[in-house]
Amino acid sequence: MDESVIISNAFHHAPWGTPITIYFWLVGASAGSFVISSFGWVFGIKRYKPLALTASVMAIFLLMIVPVLLIWDLGQPWRFFYLMLPGYWHSTAPMAWGSILILSYPVSMMVYSVFVIKGNVTWARITGILAIVLALSTHWYTGVVMELNPGRFINHTALAPLLFLTGAFISGIGGLLLVLWVQNFFRAAEKRISWTLMSEMAQYMMYGIVFDIFLLWLEFMQTLYGNEGEYMGHDVVLMNLFSFPYIWLEAVIGLFIPLLLLVSPIKHNKVVILAASAMVAFGVYGMRIWWVMGGQFIQTFY
Amino acid sequence: MNRVRFMAETHNNESKHHHRDYGIQTPGTKGVPGTKRYAMAIDLRKCIGCMSCVVACKAEFGTPLGVWRTWVKTADKGAYPNTTRVFMPRLCNHCDYPICVRNCPTQATYKHEDGFVLQRYNRCIGCRTCIVACPYNARHLVPEKRTDGNLPTLVVDKCTFCIHRVKKGLLPSCVQTCVGGARIFGDMNDPESEIAKLLAKEKVTVLKPSLGTEPAVFYIGGDFEIMSENKSYSNRTTQLKEEFNTFKRQHPGDAFGDIVEGESTMYWVKKNMVDFVAEIPHKASGVGKIIKKLIFG
Amino acid sequence: MSDYNRRDFLKVGATAGAVAACPSVVQAMELKLGGADFHQLRTFHEREKAPYLCTLCPYVCGGFSYAEKGEVMKAEGNPDHIATRGKFCGKGQASLFSASDPDRILSPLKRIGARGEGKWAEISWEEAIATVAESVSGALNSDVNSIVFNEGAFREGAGARFMDTLGSSSLIRSRTPSIGNNAKQTALKNMLGADFAYPDLEHTRYVLNFGSNIMETGMPLASRLTDGMVNNRLKIVTFDVRLSHTAGRSDEWIPVFPGSDGLIALAMANVIMQEGMADTAFIDAWTNTTSADLAEQLKAYTPAMAAKASGVDAADIRRIAIEFARWKPAVVFSQNGVSSHAGGIDAESACTLLSVITGNIDSEGGLCLPRAFDIAMPQPVPEKATDSVTLNVTFPFDVKTGVKKVSVLFNHMSNPAYSSPATSFWREVLKDKKLIPLIVDFTPFMSETSEYADIILPDVVGIERHDVASSPTALLPWASMSMPKVAVRGAAKDVRETLKAIIEAVDADGSRGMTQYWAFADAEDWVKQSVAATPELKDGYKKLKKKGLWPLYGTIDLNSRKIVKDGAVVKAPYGTYQAAGFATASGKIEVPTLAWQPNTRLAAIKDSEFVLSTYKVSYHSGSKTTNLKLLSEMWHSNPLWINKEVAKRLGIADGALVRVTSEVGHLVTKAWVTHGIHPQVVGISTSVGRSSYGRVALADPTAIATFAKEEQRDADLEANLWWRDLGTNPNDIIPLAVDPVSGIQAWNDTVVSIAPAKEGDTYGDVRVDNVKHLAIYKKSIG
Ligand SMILES: Nc1nc2c(c(=O)[nH]1)N[C@H]1C(S)=C(S)[C@@H](COP(=O)(O)OP(=O)(O)OC[C@H]3O[C@@H](n4cnc5c(=O)[nH]c(N)nc54)[C@H](O)[C@@H]3O)O[C@H]1N2
Ligand SMILES: Nc1nc2c(c(=O)[nH]1)N[C@H]1C(S)=C(S)[C@@H](COP(=O)(O)OP(=O)(O)OC[C@H]3O[C@@H](n4cnc5c(=O)[nH]c(N)nc54)[C@H](O)[C@@H]3O)O[C@H]1N2
Ligand code: SF4
Ligand code: SF4
Ligand code: SF4
Ligand code: SF4
Ligand code: SF4
Ligand SMILES: [Mo]
Repeated sequence: MDESVIISNAFHHAPWGTPITIYFWLVGASAGSFVISSFGWVFGIKRYKPLALTASVMAIFLLMIVPVLLIWDLGQPWRFFYLMLPGYWHSTAPMAWGSILILSYPVSMMVYSVFVIKGNVTWARITGILAIVLALSTHWYTGVVMELNPGRFINHTALAPLLFLTGAFISGIGGLLLVLWVQNFFRAAEKRISWTLMSEMAQYMMYGIVFDIFLLWLEFMQTLYGNEGEYMGHDVVLMNLFSFPYIWLEAVIGLFIPLLLLVSPIKHNKVVILAASAMVAFGVYGMRIWWVMGGQFIQTFY
Repeated sequence: MNRVRFMAETHNNESKHHHRDYGIQTPGTKGVPGTKRYAMAIDLRKCIGCMSCVVACKAEFGTPLGVWRTWVKTADKGAYPNTTRVFMPRLCNHCDYPICVRNCPTQATYKHEDGFVLQRYNRCIGCRTCIVACPYNARHLVPEKRTDGNLPTLVVDKCTFCIHRVKKGLLPSCVQTCVGGARIFGDMNDPESEIAKLLAKEKVTVLKPSLGTEPAVFYIGGDFEIMSENKSYSNRTTQLKEEFNTFKRQHPGDAFGDIVEGESTMYWVKKNMVDFVAEIPHKASGVGKIIKKLIFG
Repeated sequence: MSDYNRRDFLKVGATAGAVAACPSVVQAMELKLGGADFHQLRTFHEREKAPYLCTLCPYVCGGFSYAEKGEVMKAEGNPDHIATRGKFCGKGQASLFSASDPDRILSPLKRIGARGEGKWAEISWEEAIATVAESVSGALNSDVNSIVFNEGAFREGAGARFMDTLGSSSLIRSRTPSIGNNAKQTALKNMLGADFAYPDLEHTRYVLNFGSNIMETGMPLASRLTDGMVNNRLKIVTFDVRLSHTAGRSDEWIPVFPGSDGLIALAMANVIMQEGMADTAFIDAWTNTTSADLAEQLKAYTPAMAAKASGVDAADIRRIAIEFARWKPAVVFSQNGVSSHAGGIDAESACTLLSVITGNIDSEGGLCLPRAFDIAMPQPVPEKATDSVTLNVTFPFDVKTGVKKVSVLFNHMSNPAYSSPATSFWREVLKDKKLIPLIVDFTPFMSETSEYADIILPDVVGIERHDVASSPTALLPWASMSMPKVAVRGAAKDVRETLKAIIEAVDADGSRGMTQYWAFADAEDWVKQSVAATPELKDGYKKLKKKGLWPLYGTIDLNSRKIVKDGAVVKAPYGTYQAAGFATASGKIEVPTLAWQPNTRLAAIKDSEFVLSTYKVSYHSGSKTTNLKLLSEMWHSNPLWINKEVAKRLGIADGALVRVTSEVGHLVTKAWVTHGIHPQVVGISTSVGRSSYGRVALADPTAIATFAKEEQRDADLEANLWWRDLGTNPNDIIPLAVDPVSGIQAWNDTVVSIAPAKEGDTYGDVRVDNVKHLAIYKKSIG
C-alpha cells in the first residue's frame, strides 16, 4: 500500500517564539553571572570579590530586560500582575512559580549588591545565599516550564533543568568575561581584573562545556531512540529545520570549538579566552532557539 | 455487567493509585458514579467530511479566520485504484486530566465539575502556556481583530463543548448540524444516554492515550494514518504545505514562533523578533488606554 | 411528477402511512437538537426565531434563523424537518453571512465607466426603474422577444412570470430550477413520469452510485446514506472518474472511463436478465415492455463490451450486477457524472433501468417516486409565452451571429460569465453594447456577469427573503417557509418587488393589462398568496409561519432520526403507483428503445490526451458562496488532479505548475498528484478562481470595491484573511458542447492535453481564442 496523504488539516501558530528564546537566554546568563558573583562573598573565595559587583550588576541588568520581553509577549500585558494575585496564583503551574522567582530574584540581588557595596560581609553572605538559590531556581524553572508538558516531546525530559542550568553557567561566565574585559579599559589599573583570574574562570567554563556536551549527548540519544514524537523531534526539528541553531550554533560554535580552544596549549591567551567566551555565550542561544521554537514547531501541524 | 458501571468501578480502583488530579480544580469524573461527565463520540463511519460542524462552530462563536475550535482532518489512503478517504473531526478533548489546566498560571482555564474544560477570559493573560501544554493543538490565541469587537480578543480560547447551549438543554452546535450524524454528545456517566450506550457497544479509540490525559472525545473507526502525529506532518500534500507556509507568512505580527519551512530558520527567528518589537508601541498604547481608563474612569 | 403524487399524497399518507409500533427507537434524550438559540456569553435572552429556508442549492433545506437586536446571528436546520432532520450543511450554516457581506451591493448602481471597468455610481430606485422601464417599453413597441431574461436558481418563477406578462418568449436559464439537470430530468420524466426519483437510502441494503457525489452535493440524502451505512450496513459502490468524498467513503470505488456509465448499466442489466435475477413479474406488470423482450434487447450489451469502453473489469461488472440484484432492496442513484455527457439521457435511462428490472421502484429501500408539492404562484397567472426550458449555453453565440436580437438582457441569480462554458466568449458578447444595448442584473453581489451590467438592482439575500418551497427530499411531501423578521439591509429590494415596479412603470396607465399579475403588496404577500393558491397548503399558512414546516407528520427522534408520533415510527407509503399508475402516457414505466451511441468525442481520445472533469465541492455552491469567508477559508484553491503514475510519466511533480490545453486555449494551474483519479482524467473543481465577487473571493483583503459601504466592514476579514491562492476557473477553456437531445452542456466531455508549464507561464494564466469558440459553435449547428 502506498502511504497515506493528509489533504486537509487546521493550521496553528507556534505559541512561543523568539522573545521567549531570548528571555530564556538572558535569564540563564544572569544566573550564570550571579554564580560567579557569589564566589567571593558567599563562598569566600577572596580573589573573586573584586568582580562580584560587576557580575551582580550584569545579572540584574540582564534581568531588567526580561520583564519587557515577558510582559510584552503576553496577549494582555496589563494583566501581568494576575500571575501573582492571590486567588489567581496556581500552585501547580511552573509559570506561576516563575513569576514569583523573576520578581524576587532581582530584588534579592539588589539587596545583596547593596551589602556588597557597603562591604557588609555577614549580610552579603546571607542575602547572597538567598539570591543564589533564587538565581538557580529562576533558571531551573525555565527548563521546567516546558519540561512539564508531556505532549512536547523534545522538551519533556528530566534533563531539561540541567541543560538549562549548565547552559546558564557557561553562558554567564562567557558573558561576564566579555564584560570584564570591556570594563577593564575603564577601571583604574590597580583595580583591573587579572587575566589569571579570567583564565581561571575560563577553565570553569570549560568544565561546564564538557558537562553540557555530555547532557546534549544524552538528549541526542533519547530523541534518536525515542518514541514517535521524540523521533520526529530528532528527525524533523533537530537534524533538519533547526540544524543551524542545534548543530552549528550550539554544538559546534558554542561547545566544541570553545572546548578545543580551552584545552589547547594556548588556552591562557587573551584572544582565545575572549573568543571562546563569545562563542559560548552565543552558542547557548542556539540551544534556546531549538528548545523553544523547535518544540513549538512540531506542535503546529497535528 | 454494564460497561459504564464497569468503567466506573475500575476507575475507582485505579484512582487509588494514580493521582493526576492535582492542579485541575475538579477531579476527573469519567465513570465516577453520582457525577456528570459530558463527552463526545465521533462515529467516523458516518462522517462525510462536509465540515458543516466547522462552519457551525465558527458561526456560533464568531471565531476569527485562521483559528479553529474544531476542524476536520482529511487523508487519502492507498494506491490507485484502491484509494479511500478518511475524515477525522478534531476538537478539544475535554480531558479528565488536562495538562492545559494544570499548567495555567492564573487558573484562567479550569475544569468544570461536569467534565467541561473551560476558559475564564477575564483572567487569561494570554501567556499561551496552555497552548504549549495541550498535546492536541486544541487551543488558540484569539487575534486582536475580530468581527464582533466586544467579544474577547488576545486571550486563549478553545472548544467549550458549547456549555452555553448544553446548560440550556441544547446539543452543541457542531453536533446539532452534523449532517452525517457522526457526532454524538451526552453524559457518558448516565447509562441511559445515547453516548453511554454507544461507548458500551462500539470499539472506540482516543487520541494519544499514552499521555494519560483521558480524553472525553472518543472515535469510532479511528484510522492510524490520520491519527498519527508523525504522519500528520510528513505525509502532507505539497498543497497543504504551501498553504501552511502562506498561513504563517500572512500572520500579522507578534510574539509567535512561526518559521517557514524551506526558508532560513534564522531569518524567521529574526523576523519574529522584529515583528515583536514593532508591536510594542502599539501594545503600549493599548495599555496606556487601559491605565487611563482605570485611573480616570 | 405525477399529479397523483402531488395532490393525493396527504390522503395516502394518512391511510397507507400507518403508524408502526417501534418503541425501541423512541427514548427520552437529555439534550435537544435545536429550536432555540442563545448568545455564547449572554445566555439570559433567547434569540428571536424565524422560519428560514436555505436556498443555496436545489435541496432547499428548511430551518430557523435566530436574531438578536434585529440581526440574524445563527441559522440552523429545523429539528423536526422531515427532509433535513435538523441539519444544515456548511453552506447553509454560513448562508446568513451573505447579509453582512462587506462586498454586498446595497444600493442601485449605474455603470459610469466602460463595461467591465468597475466604475459605478449610486442611483435612486426611481431613476433605476425609469431607465429600465423606458428600455422595456421601447422593446415592447418594436420586438418584444428582444427582451431576454436569464434566470438562474429562481424557483418560484417570478422571472418567467415577468416574461409572460410582457409576452416575451426569450426566457433562458442557466440551470433547471429543481434537483438534477435537463438530461436526468428528461430521462426520468420519459420513463417514470416524474422528473426526480428519490433513492430510499435510509432503508436500502445496496447502493449503486453512478457519477453522483451525493456526500458533497446532496446533503439531505447523504445523511440518510450514513444512517444506512451504519444501521443497515448497506454496501455502496461508486462509479466515478475520481475519488470524490462519496467515492472515497464507498465500500468500492470503481474508477471509470468518462461517459461509459450508461453502457456499464446496460451490461449489468443484461447480466441480471441472463442470470434470471430480474423481477420479471414487476417488469411484465409495470412496464410498457415484457421481460422477454427486454432480455432480448439487452443481449447486445455484454460485460466484455462495457469493459472495453470503460476500462472496468468485465468480471467486476458481472459481480456487481449480481450483488445488486441479490441484495434486496437495492437502489441506483446517478447524477451529473452520467448525464453531463453527450448522450446523457440514454445513460441516465440505462441507470434507471437497473432499478426497474429488479423491481426496486417506489419500494422500501428502492428508487421512489418524488414526493413534493407543486407550489402555485399568486393568481391570476399570465398566459405562458413559452413552454420549454431553453438553456442559456448557446446564447452569446446566437447573439454574436445575429440569430438572436437583444434589446435588454435581464439577469438574475445566474453568473454565465463564470459558470457557463466559453466564459471568455460570454464576456466578449456582454461587453459589446451594440449586441446588447442594456444589461440589467438583479444581484446582491458583483459577479463576473454583473461586471458588464449597465444597471444593477440589488436583490435581497436568502436570510432576508420571503419564500415558500417544497423539494422531493423525503418520503413524505413537505413545504417550508422563510419568514424573515429582520430588516433588509441598505436599499436592497426583493426582486419580485423590483419586477413589479418595472411592470407598473411600463404599464403605468394599466392599458397593457399587465399590472393585474403583479397585484401583490410585497414579497411577504407573494408568499401568502402562493400558499393560498396551493391546494395542499392553503390551511397551513399559520403553521408554516410558526413551525416553518407543513404538514406536521410528527417529530424527529433524535437517536434514530426517524419521524415519530405518539411514540411510534411514522411509516411512509410505498408503491404509490399501484393506485393510479405512473404519470406516463401508458400509465406504466416506459422503457425507451435501448440505444447506445458511443461518445464520439471521448471515443476518439488519444493516449496523450485527458478528459477534463469539473465538479462541485462540498464547501461551495456554484458561484454564490465564494465570498463567504467561512467557506472560502476551507476551500479556495482548485489544483489540477492528476494520476500519480501519469504525472511521473509526464515529469510533473506534486505542486508544480502545469499547462492545461483544450481545443480553444490553455490555462496554467498547479498540479495535485494523487492516487484518486483515473489515469486518463484530470480534474478541476468549480466555485473558485474568481475574477470578481469580493475581497474573500479574490483572497485580497485590500480589494475594496467603490460601492462597498463602510458600515459593512469586517475587521476579521481585513486583519485575518490568511490565504492568497484563489484558484483558476476552468470554464474559459471549456468549449461549448451542447448535447443535441437534452440541450445541456456536456460538461464532462472536454478533452485536454497536459504539460509542465512553459517558460514564462505563471499561475492563473488563461489564454483563449474566441474565434475558436465561435468556430465550435458554428460546427455544432451544422
Ligand atoms: N456542494 C454543492 N452541492 C450542490 C451544488 C453545488 O454547487 N455545491 N449544486 C447543486 C446542483 S445545481 C447540481 S446540478 C448538483 C450536482 O450534483 P453532482 O452530480 O453530484 O455533482 P457534480 O460535481 O456535477 O458531478 C458528480 C461527479 O461526477 C463525476 N464524473 C465526471 N464524469 C464522470 C463520468 O463520466 N462517469 C462517472 N461515473 N462520474 C463522472 C465527477 O468526478 C463528480 O464527482 O449538485 C447540487 N448540490
Ligand atoms: N465547469 C463547470 N461549470 C459548471 C458546472 C460544472 O460542474 N462544471 N456546473 C454547472 C451547474 S450544474 C450549474 S447548476 C451552474 C450554476 O451556475 P449559475 O446558474 O450561474 O449559478 P451560480 O454559479 O450559483 O451563480 C449565481 C449568481 O447569483 C448571484 N447571487 C448569489 N446570491 C444571490 C442572491 O441571494 N440573490 C440574487 N438575486 N443573486 C444572487 C451571484 O452573482 C452568483 O454568482 O453551473 C454550471 N457550471
Ligand atoms: S485537549 Fe488540550 S485543551 Fe482540551 S482539555 Fe485536553 S489538554 Fe486541555
Ligand atoms: S493563556 Fe490564559 S488560559 Fe492559557 S495558560 Fe495563560 S492565562 Fe492560562
Ligand atoms: S462543542 Fe461547541 S465549541 Fe466545541 S467544537 Fe462543537 S460547536 Fe465548537
Ligand atoms: S458535520 Fe458531521 S459529517 Fe460533516 S464533517 Fe462534521 S462530523 Fe463529519
Ligand atoms: S444542502 Fe446545504 S446548501 Fe443545499 S439547501 Fe441544504 S443547507 Fe442549503
Ligand atoms: Mo446544476
